Amino acid sequence: MNTVELTRDERAVRQTSGPVLGMVIFVASEAMFFATFFGAYFTIYSVNPVWPPAGFPRLEPGLATVLTVVLVASSVTLQVGVRAIRRDRTRAMLVWLGLTILLGAGFLGLQLYDYSLLGFGVRDGIFGSLFYVMTGLHMAHVFGGVVFLVLVLAQGLGGQLTHAHHDSMEAGSIYWHFVDLVWICLFITFYVVGLS
Amino acid sequence: MAIVEPRTTERAPEPQRHWLVEWLTTTDHKRIGILYLGNSFAFFFVAGLFALLMRTELAAPGRQLVTTNGYNQLFTLHGTLMIFLFILPVLVGFGNYLIPLQIGALDMAFPRINALSFWLLPVGGLTILSGLLARGGAAAAGWTSYAPVSEQGGAGQDLWIVGLVVVGTASILSGVNFIVTILRLRAPGMTMTRLPVFVWSMLATSLLMVLATPVLTAGLLMLFADRRLGAFFFNPTHGGDVLLWQHVFWFFGHPEVYMLILGAWGVVSEILPVFSGRPLFGYPGVILAFVLITALSFSVWAHHMFVTGQVEYPFFSATTELISIPTGVLFFNWLATLWRGRLRFEPPMLFALGFIALFLIGGVDGVWMASPSMDFAIHDTYWVVAHIHYVLFGGTVFGVMAASYYWFPKITGRLLSRKLGQWHFWLMFLGFNLTFFPMHELGLRGMPRRVADYLPDAGWSFLNQLATAGSFLIAVSLLVFLVNVVLTLRRPPDAPPDPWEGNTLEWATTSPPPVHNFDRLPEVRSNRPVRDGREQEVAR
Amino acid sequence: MAACRRSRIGLAVLAAAALAGCAKQGATVQGQEIHDLYVLIIILALPVFIGVEGVLLWCIVRYRQRRTSDGQPVSQRAGGPRSLAVFFAIPTVIVTFFFLYGERTLADVQRPEPNPAVELRIDGFQWQWTVYYLNEGFFVTGKTLTKEPVFELPVGAPVHVRLEARDVVHEFYVPDFLFMRNALPGRPNEFSFTPTRIGTFRGQCAEFCGLHHDQMRFVLKVVSQADYVAWVDQARKAAQHVDCNPSGPLKLVSKDNSWNTGCLAVAAGSPFSVSVSNLDPGIEHNFAIYPKAGAKRPLFQGPRFAGVAEKTFELRPLPKGRYYFQCDVHGPAMSGALVVK
Repeated sequence: MNTVELTRDERAVRQTSGPVLGMVIFVASEAMFFATFFGAYFTIYSVNPVWPPAGFPRLEPGLATVLTVVLVASSVTLQVGVRAIRRDRTRAMLVWLGLTILLGAGFLGLQLYDYSLLGFGVRDGIFGSLFYVMTGLHMAHVFGGVVFLVLVLAQGLGGQLTHAHHDSMEAGSIYWHFVDLVWICLFITFYVVGLS
Repeated sequence: MAIVEPRTTERAPEPQRHWLVEWLTTTDHKRIGILYLGNSFAFFFVAGLFALLMRTELAAPGRQLVTTNGYNQLFTLHGTLMIFLFILPVLVGFGNYLIPLQIGALDMAFPRINALSFWLLPVGGLTILSGLLARGGAAAAGWTSYAPVSEQGGAGQDLWIVGLVVVGTASILSGVNFIVTILRLRAPGMTMTRLPVFVWSMLATSLLMVLATPVLTAGLLMLFADRRLGAFFFNPTHGGDVLLWQHVFWFFGHPEVYMLILGAWGVVSEILPVFSGRPLFGYPGVILAFVLITALSFSVWAHHMFVTGQVEYPFFSATTELISIPTGVLFFNWLATLWRGRLRFEPPMLFALGFIALFLIGGVDGVWMASPSMDFAIHDTYWVVAHIHYVLFGGTVFGVMAASYYWFPKITGRLLSRKLGQWHFWLMFLGFNLTFFPMHELGLRGMPRRVADYLPDAGWSFLNQLATAGSFLIAVSLLVFLVNVVLTLRRPPDAPPDPWEGNTLEWATTSPPPVHNFDRLPEVRSNRPVRDGREQEVAR
Repeated sequence: MAACRRSRIGLAVLAAAALAGCAKQGATVQGQEIHDLYVLIIILALPVFIGVEGVLLWCIVRYRQRRTSDGQPVSQRAGGPRSLAVFFAIPTVIVTFFFLYGERTLADVQRPEPNPAVELRIDGFQWQWTVYYLNEGFFVTGKTLTKEPVFELPVGAPVHVRLEARDVVHEFYVPDFLFMRNALPGRPNEFSFTPTRIGTFRGQCAEFCGLHHDQMRFVLKVVSQADYVAWVDQARKAAQHVDCNPSGPLKLVSKDNSWNTGCLAVAAGSPFSVSVSNLDPGIEHNFAIYPKAGAKRPLFQGPRFAGVAEKTFELRPLPKGRYYFQCDVHGPAMSGALVVK
């Protein structure tokens, strides 16, 4: 009878790795998570004749634009870091990764500062509920991403990342770009569409 | 008949760890699968006990056993635990055990995340149950937890929310794990078109777990925000919308019910061929049906909301009726598998045939509800209770019983008693129909769901008595099953690798398999590799 | 074989007839349409059911493995694209027909009556109903756990209902009408029906709405036109006959979600005080005065407060007339007349 020795599946080497595929699928689940909130936003928007509801201060886009720039920049720096490790330039990767983490932390700090400037809270009607819950959950995801990237940095500093084995960096970058994309959607929804 | 030579060389003895530590820290998919099965059946018995309490209360009009608040907690916990802590996890548990074996892999793609996925379940389940100790009792808004009712109530409702967020996280992680495992760890020769049907069904289930469960998590967080953070998502007094909860919940909820049945379809599609001696008829059609149903499941959700009067009727009744088409295809393929076969009525086959008979009824009685105006007459009545139990119990639970008898020898090395299996089947079949068939008539007579009591002159008493009698018969049948399991486990493990003349790779290794699953893998040239091996042996 | 086939068809017809009787006939024009749809579905579903179960039983009997097997190999045919096409085609045909017929019934059920004889507003609340007769100017209300509302409608006349809820989602369900509709806070629903049969019909809430959901029952009587007119007359007079005289400071007590009195009286032109004692622990009540039942804007609206507590309110003088007071949380179930003389 024919048997086949158990060997590593050669095909796997040429495809996306397991952990990266896993992260892509996980990001898909996160996309559904945030999509639910956006769906809620537009449902509520459609049943409220006045939007934002009466008595709400207009959201000033100034600081939010800075936040957007910071986060987009962090995606750029992270991607540069990914390309660096793909070419086995470990030190460059560490630098760009560190920059990304700083920018991410900066985003968090700036957002908290923005919250303190706003004249309404989560209890102030449906607009307050939507705004704080959606941006708050996004912040939690940024925080999680920063933690993840710090762990990747630790791996890199420990010499565990090479051009052949850097799944965590690839996976982390997919997650981070996704979180950036969610912010852009939030920015458009609350500061662009929400004002019209 | 043995395909595999068992290892004769001894392995170097490893330092003995206490068995409890072994099981608490295992990342072996087989052990995790067993943990899933044990945890799931434990919650099955708890939720089943709640059902018996409800049925005892409802046997006669008037309050006999529990308070109204108690009854409301019972049906809430019964539904929640059955759906989230039994049905889905037991299918995931079988998936955990079988998927690597059926695809010829060593383990799951992410063994440690696999372990985490499991342990989150008892944590989440116990959190939900702990509501019984809270002031005011456990959650009592139904497993569907409609707002604004679910915004009332005490800590029990919050514990329910937290518990479900935990359980939902476990689902998402399992889904990711299964998908990567199935796509990346198949043995050479195991192309997607040779994948066992059960693995296809778990792939579809995993897609739904990954894409639909996060929607529930989002809704639960909105509910929590309303309850404890002063938000207004579902509160119309400050701009919120009560219907938003229903849309969010059912957008998750309908894919959820397909998560609860796909695995059972996969199991039945494995068992029928083995015990008929024929291939699965129309394997490509079965897979196509799975794919279509998985995709369509996201488009039907508002058929749960027909009675709100505020959803798009033609669209949702069309999609709901459309989804019955691939479901019909499944039935025809199963029947064609049996046709001109040589049927062996071992317990797995009894339960698989029972599945077909009963799931058909559940599917057909759903047709009445698919047409909105008809739904206006029977929604939120016992007709719906009949329907959900015919598909979830007559369907999935019978499928789970079939899987249990089928794979018990592979998992434990012992064959369950055939005689006790027959008693289990007939008592359960009879008890089940006695319990739930009268509920169709109860619904037509106007008995609504979720009522702790009813009036003596409503004309519902006799049918309720029948249902209660049936429920105790079900309980007896489950005791028979328990006895069967306990007695069988006390016997020495002597099951052969392939006691049923199976088709798929799990039968190409010992019962139970070694830690590394296979000593030798047969060549995979079709979707019935073990049968091919047997035919080749015969040919020689 | 022919006799066998005939008896099988006969059995199917009998079964269909028996099943058709299981559902109520539908005591409204719309309900009768729904009953017809129910019968159609039986006609579509029964052959499918008998067919599939029949083939299943046949296979079990005919193809069981026998000891004396003839050694012939079992057929390994697994079908192809043609069988798949047939398997898809059969349910598609059934479903298409079913969808089109269902759409027609739905259109008939949903069609609003252009000239309703009776206009009702129905409010659901935890845990009873209030039915406002909008053109007649009175309402009938239930009281949670204490009283089921009994309201009447004339046979053969179209009724238009506007349905809403005050707190959580409820459902107005009359089994004999083969109809139910959610009462949603913030999203009113409208529907019409025309009763076709005189009788007494029970209804209850069908959407789980909290603790006493199972007790949220009501009684709907369909009577002759003459009886209806008499009932309306009597109900309207009863609403206006609530009367009392000023007799000192007003004292309202709420216990078990009910006021201790349905009538308060004060002298016109002088300020007065009302003390409200809430004896329901943990349950919020308030005291509000409206020009009449169903008015939107209150003349006075006290704060909601939970029991057990007492609050006293000082009110400005009111001109002579009849006013309506209620607890806004529980609506007409906790209401009465304020007579200013």
